[in-house]
Amino acid sequence: MSVAAETPLFETRGVTRRFHGLVALGDVSFALRQGEIFGLIGPNGAGKTTLVNVISGTLLPNEGALFFEGTRIDRLPPQRRAHLGIGRTFQVMKPFPRLSVLENVTVGALFGFAGGERNRAMAREQAREVLEFTGLLHRMDQHADQLGGPDRKRLELAKALAMKPKLLLLDEVMAGLTHTEIDEVVAIIKKIRASGVTILVIEHVMRAIRSLSDRVFVLHHGERIAEGPPDAVLADPRVIEAYLGKRRQ
Amino acid sequence: MLRLSLLGLAVVILALVPLSGDAVIIQYGIDALLAATVAQAWNILGGYTGYASFGNSAFYGLGTYGTAIAMVKLALPFWVGLALGAALALACAVVIGLPILRLRGHFFAIATLGLSATLAAVIANLDIAGRNIGLILPLTRNDTLFYEEALALLVAATATVAWIAHSRFGMGLVAIREDEDAAQVMGVNTTLYKVVALMLSAFFTAIAGGIHAYWITFVDPAGAFDLTINVRMVIMAMFGGPGTVLGPVIGSIILSALYQILASSISTAAALLFGLVIVLAIIFMPRGLIDLAEGLRRVGWRYFLQNIQMHRL
Amino acid sequence: MSETLLAVSGLSAGYGAAPVLFGLDLAVSAGEIVALVGSNGAGKTTLLRAVSRVIAARGSIRFAGRDLLPLSPEEVFTLGLVQVPEGRQLFQRMSVEENLQMGAFRRRDPAGIARSFERVYQLFPILADRRRQMAGSLSGGEQQICALARALMAEPKLLMVDEMSLGLAPVIVDQLLDVLSDIRRSGVTVLIVEQDVFAAFSIADRAYVMETGHIVREGPVKELESDPELRRAYLGMA
Repeated sequence: MSVAAETPLFETRGVTRRFHGLVALGDVSFALRQGEIFGLIGPNGAGKTTLVNVISGTLLPNEGALFFEGTRIDRLPPQRRAHLGIGRTFQVMKPFPRLSVLENVTVGALFGFAGGERNRAMAREQAREVLEFTGLLHRMDQHADQLGGPDRKRLELAKALAMKPKLLLLDEVMAGLTHTEIDEVVAIIKKIRASGVTILVIEHVMRAIRSLSDRVFVLHHGERIAEGPPDAVLADPRVIEAYLGKRRQ
Repeated sequence: MLRLSLLGLAVVILALVPLSGDAVIIQYGIDALLAATVAQAWNILGGYTGYASFGNSAFYGLGTYGTAIAMVKLALPFWVGLALGAALALACAVVIGLPILRLRGHFFAIATLGLSATLAAVIANLDIAGRNIGLILPLTRNDTLFYEEALALLVAATATVAWIAHSRFGMGLVAIREDEDAAQVMGVNTTLYKVVALMLSAFFTAIAGGIHAYWITFVDPAGAFDLTINVRMVIMAMFGGPGTVLGPVIGSIILSALYQILASSISTAAALLFGLVIVLAIIFMPRGLIDLAEGLRRVGWRYFLQNIQMHRL
Repeated sequence: MSETLLAVSGLSAGYGAAPVLFGLDLAVSAGEIVALVGSNGAGKTTLLRAVSRVIAARGSIRFAGRDLLPLSPEEVFTLGLVQVPEGRQLFQRMSVEENLQMGAFRRRDPAGIARSFERVYQLFPILADRRRQMAGSLSGGEQQICALARALMAEPKLLMVDEMSLGLAPVIVDQLLDVLSDIRRSGVTVLIVEQDVFAAFSIADRAYVMETGHIVREGPVKELESDPELRRAYLGMA
């Protein structure tokens, strides 16, 4: 291990994003090490999804900069960031409704990292492997809009995985799942990290956050209020107050 | 492979139609083939990419006038005229496409609506285009030649759509149609792909316009940029099956034939009955004939029930 | 003892193949403010939507003595059970006054509607000032007040308020909490769904705590305030 600090895989510096005067993100800065799982939590409206939108390029920041593997990316359009290796899921899931599950995931393989796989047949093969990994192979010919809740989540994950991302942004993939399903997804996410992917996880299911995250970052009203190991952060009085509100007299 | 041979056979049979010598059939055929071509061209942008264009008649008009101006005012041969028309349409597609393709859904459709009227007005003020009076092209009495040209164009357009349907590019277009935001974060260059789709659509539409111009030997702004051309191509593509390779072709052939039959037998009520057919089609087969055929094969008559339930009729 | 206005028993509901609520029991008595709290995804909004009959459900829902289960949302509304949805859902391009009129849409008594207008403008002077302004141009807090007022125009017996504090500054939330207290004082029962627990607790009499589709705690607010189960429901650890 070299003495000099290794370049973080991804970094935000002073990112600020406003909507009509409302500060959705205020001076947010953090760095992700390659291979870590980074938990992002905060009450509703804290700005978590806005942050993911800024990272994936769906939104541009008003101030601040984003760096991926040392290169500045905050002015790049979303598809360029996808080509660099940033993949994301959507909290309100966005499958391609009238395409089959296999076709949905094939799109990811066709257009992902480094522009994806040019050959459609090979891309389909890669998509098959991803479907097997996420437990959706038996549904590969079904139309995406016919899937039930948990399977939709898996599809959302599979689409992002097929892109061969280096950085995977997961936006509330556990919402609405039963305890068993949550455990399954946690296992899948750990497998993904083991394959070398860096993961940023937004969640309200704290069990999952605690068992997955190396570090946790807490947003409240768009600003960082705590950062550190999960158990410490979740016991932090400021974090508790953010979630439960201020005691009133 | 079987399908390809059958299609090849169909093309050969169509190519042999002029041998019948029946002038009426050949003329109807030219009209139907050109209608099928513009429906197919619309299919690229409207069916595969999900951007319902009401400005394709603008490209048709540009193709018409490019050919006419080249032949009448510049004394250039027909092929050069076609190329000029196509070039004008492609240039228009790039220049207009970039701003207009930022709009989505209804806004896009409405914005394109103004395109044809605008160009018609511009043309009507140009001397080189014959202003409102129009231009008269040199006469060539050879309907068979026009027929075969129209057929060749339709085959080229359909082959292009077939390529799109199996290519990575086509998958990108479909992803844009199904969810443009998701497509973008998955790496699809949505702006580029939409403009290319628009250019392909413009190209075939313009060539069809050029052939039509030379065939009827007369062009004027109202006729060249006629919005009903666009309405017709949308109906035909949607009737046959948007987003499929053969849907628009089958749809336009059937509807063209239907209209001819109705017009010749019940001429007064033809338009009314034709409208009725369209309305029934929208209710019972909203995704077109191809989807109907597959639906019947999959779930039988319940297909209609599902459609009615889905639209809560 | 005041009568039970809303009695929910064994309520299960979900979306398509995904169940969200698992046999819930809940009751609201006339004149109370009851809080329903829990972290995101606990199923609070789903509960409200089930009670309003916007989504399919199983179990028993009784309101003012009537069985709600077979009714349509419009019928539930007419019985006096009115929901102020999450995100307010005002008619952005209509004026404040028009939005309020829409609240009285199903009523047929012009004199009564006029009285409702008076009452609402008295309760919320800020709406009286801005009655002709387009709802979409109001601030977040003002929009929330307008949404509450619109619901009041239907003269509800029970008002169900979903996530009123979302996206609003704490000082505005405090004002809105006072507004809800005023509403209760004017004779309307309130069921408030809130993520901000202590905000809800500051005006509620009783509360239910939800976690992944179950009710894990219920009781008077005084008792729940210091219950470690509360923290566990939100943060996964006591």
